[in-house]
Amino acid sequence: MRLAPVDYLILSLYFVFVLCIGWIVKRKVATSADFLTSGRSVPVWITSLAFIAANLGAQEVIGMCASGAKYGIMTAHFYWIGAVPAMLFVGVFMMPFYYGSRARSVPEYLKLRFDEKTRALNAVTFAVMTVFSSGISMYALGLLFELVLHWSFTASVLLSAAIVLVYTFLGGLTSAIYNEVLQFFLIVLGFAPLAIFVVMKTGGWSGMAARLPQVMTHTWRYAGSASQNPMGVEVFGLVAGLGFVLSFGYWCTDFLVVQRAMAADSMSAARRTPLIAAFPKMVMPFIVIVPGIAAVALSHMALGYSIPLKPDGGPDYDQTLTTLMAQFYPSGMLGLGLTALMASFMSGMAGNVTAFNTVWTYDIYQGHIRKNAPDSHYLFVGRVTTVAGVGLSIGTAYLASHFNNIMDFLQLVFGFVNAPLFATFLLGMFWKRATGHGAFSGLLAGTAAAAATHGLTLAEGKGGWLGTVLHTFPSTMAQNFWIAIFAWSTCFLVTLLVSLMSAPKAEAELHNLVYGLTQIPHEQVPWYKRPAPLAAIVIAALVFLNLLFW
Amino acid sequence: MNDLRIPIGSFFALVGVILCVAGLAANFKAPLESANVNLYCGISMLIFGAVMLWLARRKARS
Repeated sequence: MRLAPVDYLILSLYFVFVLCIGWIVKRKVATSADFLTSGRSVPVWITSLAFIAANLGAQEVIGMCASGAKYGIMTAHFYWIGAVPAMLFVGVFMMPFYYGSRARSVPEYLKLRFDEKTRALNAVTFAVMTVFSSGISMYALGLLFELVLHWSFTASVLLSAAIVLVYTFLGGLTSAIYNEVLQFFLIVLGFAPLAIFVVMKTGGWSGMAARLPQVMTHTWRYAGSASQNPMGVEVFGLVAGLGFVLSFGYWCTDFLVVQRAMAADSMSAARRTPLIAAFPKMVMPFIVIVPGIAAVALSHMALGYSIPLKPDGGPDYDQTLTTLMAQFYPSGMLGLGLTALMASFMSGMAGNVTAFNTVWTYDIYQGHIRKNAPDSHYLFVGRVTTVAGVGLSIGTAYLASHFNNIMDFLQLVFGFVNAPLFATFLLGMFWKRATGHGAFSGLLAGTAAAAATHGLTLAEGKGGWLGTVLHTFPSTMAQNFWIAIFAWSTCFLVTLLVSLMSAPKAEAELHNLVYGLTQIPHEQVPWYKRPAPLAAIVIAALVFLNLLFW
Repeated sequence: MNDLRIPIGSFFALVGVILCVAGLAANFKAPLESANVNLYCGISMLIFGAVMLWLARRKARS
């Protein structure tokens, strides 16, 4: 792929705007709360788009297109089953406690609700994970631009890191959120035309479907048994593992996304954030997954297009998106498409850096290192942490480029740590008897259960490191879903049992933290701004989409 | 400037103009697509940017 001057013009225009946004936002930053939590002042349409944009990294866009080519429209389950229901749940049921508790972060909620050790466990694991995700995002960017444009790895990593550093240093969370919204529109306007042009080339939706096996264009018809669909997953694993444990664990407890909703300017806006975000989330599959499906149809058309191959001869689905761009976009749009990719890599980094910042400054530094300093001190620490966070990410990117296996291993471990989280929050928010000892031991037991499941089962040669293999899964995806199910159930049971055996927390300390002891404010807003009617509309649209692509 | 619609609107309006010019003036072609991709996308982005700016302006006046 070769870029023309017009492509570079668009890319540099984007850099200029990103830096300007950071510079303009800087004037609003006076306290540590402005810097780390946006001072709870962001309008709802912005928090909503940032809520999904924070998750719409370039790895997601490239990966979803790849999965589209590999599995077909079934990939949409990652959005329709694996995101939207959880987004509704966090908005309708959980946000009153997150926002109402006045906690500044998800770990801080755990401290208020449970105790210091539960917060410390969550804060430390989260801080480590965000730094690594940010580094992995940077590494993926360097790799992609090296492969596609022959840019030097170091140059693209350092350039993107420098820009992210400048705008997060200047404007903190607000700056990161604003740029996520810009990135969201770039992804939509940059890749929707690709989906349209590629599908039109294959003869519209029906023309495309006619060139593909049936299983590629149906979401549920072949989900009955693992052997019938390319994902190798059966309905229960899909709905319980992906739709419940993994998706609720991510969308309802991951501070990176919850932080966006918590930045909203009122309780009502915070609750609406994930609900409004559900609408664009639902249609994202048509922009990110459909091009991948169409690419397979296109490769059957003797136009000279074929799915790219790896050196060993197997299909290299991860390159589907960039090869489609090269075939369908002339110089100009090509520049915009690459800008959109660059933007989503960078906002992926910025999102992680700002979340890391808040957790480090409030939950680790203020919680354990220096408790009663003036606010200006924490603002200073927040700024220093931004620099440190970007520096650590660069280090991680290089670590990833030299030791690929370590990264795979770490991502596996992060999965074990995250899988049980939702059980802790569910019990914490809806059962006032749950205790700190219960939550802490539940989290540890859940993580251990996840590791044990992985060690005792086998899928595509992965796992089974405990010696005995009790079960073999048809795919690693099925294995992941079942690891999550076991981790969640173990955490749930252990938290329940240990809580019953330990002394309960006084009810007076649980106000605004637990269901039943929280007055949910009844705001005077029109019906379309209330959570329940909004959620009902989302559900109706979701059912419609699933039936349409049954 | 506290309205994010202004920078977003200006960005896409500018990109829209650049793409329209590229679509009309230069004859960039993609290997598999004969349509004038730059012109179509440029017009859409120009409209999107203009709507964003118009919304921001309406808000500022009220």
